[in-house]
Amino acid sequence: MDLGLTEAQEILKTAAADFVRQEYDKDTLIALENTPTGVTPELFRQVAALGWLGILIPESYGGTDRSLTDTAVLFEELGRGPVLGPHFSSSVLGALIVLLGGTEDQKQELLPGVAQGTTVLGVAVTEPNYGWIPDTVQMPASRQPDQYVLSGTKLFVHDAQAATHLLCAARTAPPDNGSGSGISFFVVKANSPGVAIRTLPGWMSQVDEIRFDNVRVPAANVLGDTPGNGWDILEAASMGAIPVLCAYQVGSCQAVVDMAVAYSRTRHQFSQPIGRFQRVQDHIIGAVNHLDAARWTTYEALWKLDSGRDARSSVHLAKAVTSEAYLKVCAGGHEVHAGVGVMREYGLILHTQRSRTLYHCLGDARYHRRRLADALGW
Amino acid sequence: MDFEVTYTPEQEAFRAEVRGWLSENIPADLTQPVDPADLTLEQYHKLRELGRRLGAKGWLYPTYPQAYGGGDLAVDVVMILEEELDRYGLHLPPYYDSGGRLGGASIFVWGTEEQKQHFLPPIFRGEWRTWQLLSEPNAGSDLAGVQTRAVRDGDSYVINGQKIYIGSLYGCEMMWTIVVTDPEAPRHHNLGWLMIPYDLPGIEVRPMELLTAGGEGGASPGLKHTIFFDNVRVPAFNLVGGENNGWQVATTHLELEHGGGGIVRRNRIVDQFLEYCTTTKHNGATLSRNPDVRDDMVDVYVKSEINRLFGLRTYWLSHAHRPRSYEGPQGSYYRKITALEIAETMLRALGPYAMTNDPQWGPLQGLLEHYQRAAVVGLHPGGTTDIQKVVMSRRIGIGRAAKEQAGRLR
Repeated sequence: MDLGLTEAQEILKTAAADFVRQEYDKDTLIALENTPTGVTPELFRQVAALGWLGILIPESYGGTDRSLTDTAVLFEELGRGPVLGPHFSSSVLGALIVLLGGTEDQKQELLPGVAQGTTVLGVAVTEPNYGWIPDTVQMPASRQPDQYVLSGTKLFVHDAQAATHLLCAARTAPPDNGSGSGISFFVVKANSPGVAIRTLPGWMSQVDEIRFDNVRVPAANVLGDTPGNGWDILEAASMGAIPVLCAYQVGSCQAVVDMAVAYSRTRHQFSQPIGRFQRVQDHIIGAVNHLDAARWTTYEALWKLDSGRDARSSVHLAKAVTSEAYLKVCAGGHEVHAGVGVMREYGLILHTQRSRTLYHCLGDARYHRRRLADALGW
Repeated sequence: MDFEVTYTPEQEAFRAEVRGWLSENIPADLTQPVDPADLTLEQYHKLRELGRRLGAKGWLYPTYPQAYGGGDLAVDVVMILEEELDRYGLHLPPYYDSGGRLGGASIFVWGTEEQKQHFLPPIFRGEWRTWQLLSEPNAGSDLAGVQTRAVRDGDSYVINGQKIYIGSLYGCEMMWTIVVTDPEAPRHHNLGWLMIPYDLPGIEVRPMELLTAGGEGGASPGLKHTIFFDNVRVPAFNLVGGENNGWQVATTHLELEHGGGGIVRRNRIVDQFLEYCTTTKHNGATLSRNPDVRDDMVDVYVKSEINRLFGLRTYWLSHAHRPRSYEGPQGSYYRKITALEIAETMLRALGPYAMTNDPQWGPLQGLLEHYQRAAVVGLHPGGTTDIQKVVMSRRIGIGRAAKEQAGRLR
């Protein structure tokens, strides 16, 4: 038993923390929040140069082939920013979908670019009938002799504006009694004729609507050799991707707790630091408990995945606990900070926005609690 | 990271040895009552005998040095002992011995060599069962405000006062307590930490009638007492840690009571509740297929998993000698508060069945009925939930730049 990080993980953590601190100061993050991609080309190039965009990609495809736990250590530091941009969508979820579902040619074509940052993947699954069960994927892919034609709308897609390629789930066969069969992933160039991407307005960032208007996709761009198994690919990729997303959320929670503790010392009311009031302490302690619950469920799931154990129930547990914890930690942060906390320049609401925006991504807490019960065989 | 202990062939050989030894030394007719208050004297003696046999092998308090009656065993090996005993539903030690578990650590850290030689071997070999005497009628959360007096008189201290929520069924051999040794000295510098033989003249032990008797960790006590000291003479040798240094000595056992040692046991009640729901039919349908009950089960499971991970994390920190901060009291707080929530959820899931231990109608032989009571009682032993949060706050440094340090365990 050893619940500490390895030396290599400590080095990665320090490097990532330094990078985030140096390149992503608060003003930079705030300026990027409402941009379409959440990142500048220069910043993205820097992350690529550090090798972090290929962290999960095997060396034969130009990556560094590190473990999910290593990847999580990196994403926890990115979450502390919270760093925006397509790092997770492209280098974790997208890369895993291609790795697990793509043909050899597709991997060769896409993954080296993902590692270098020249190819950016966006994963388009959900639709106006939002949800993370197969029945909610209804967009048809009509078969023609050597191509498919996609028409329909994908909604609440993360990081589509940044993507060069969309991994788009569509129906190659009608739903079959709730099973995942009949869904296929298509590799669609984001600049294909008929693709229109629009950033959704509101209290969210880098979440998009994509309209497909008779978009022609070569038959060779169906991901993998077996059309119809796209949902299985998504499920398998999600197993690895979800705890990495959780680690990002853990990092953001940690940042909020650190802000609240610091504020509890420096803010004086009634002639003393507000942290001397037990009612204020309660908010922070509640946040710390949520943070640690999220942290340890997440890292146990990662350990199970990396060591080849059956991790299904742990992954569902981690996502259920972490998405909920993230909401609660931010709520605690706001109770401590009051008015200052909602000033845009202070930086707290960026975390709060992420806690809401990522809450549903790859399934919300309620969904994963149900899946947890199924995974436990109840 | 590695969340599991991986065993070497030597350690697996040790497991085989332990398993064989336990099968020979645990009496076949040893039973664990659902309600610890139902422990019979005969069964208690069997547990004490098992403790003495474990102690003779150094397995009762296995992490302590052999020179003091321990086993000099490393953490991974102790996990094997715990796991194998857990198969019988037993802990180390197999009976309520809060005084040994917590006080042993304090004597080990703060006692003189002579005191360690004198007090530790009988505790660690299971010859003494020891009670801790901390709370008083007017000193609960404010433990440093105890009023029981110890006045030096020649080679003795003379004790007068009252302690409450003490002990277990069937007495003990030794007790320890904190007492006021200097009423003029400032708070935290006015106390002494004393070992007191159970059978001294002037000690009265009066049973209390409580909802159930709880404890923080370890085997359940089954019964609590009020203890009165009326001019009890205790040898001055028994003062551990020096005059007016009792609060320092107490920080060690308080750290353990506040969860600083961590826990690696599964929650058997949760396991049995979940299994009950997946195997029991109500109105023709398995409980776990009822969506409401299923949600309740998930709720219970999620909280117990977080408890397990907090306990494991703290266990690793403490046994790998890593820096500890707020983790112990966090685990204690979370365990207490979620025990109450879990009990409420069980009540929702099972309805009035959860409230009866009737042989015909009570689920799991009354286990859940007892849990309804134990979860309420369990909020206070070892420090209330509020006290755990106070300790957490100081150690996190909320509202203060200087973070309080965790208590010494070694």
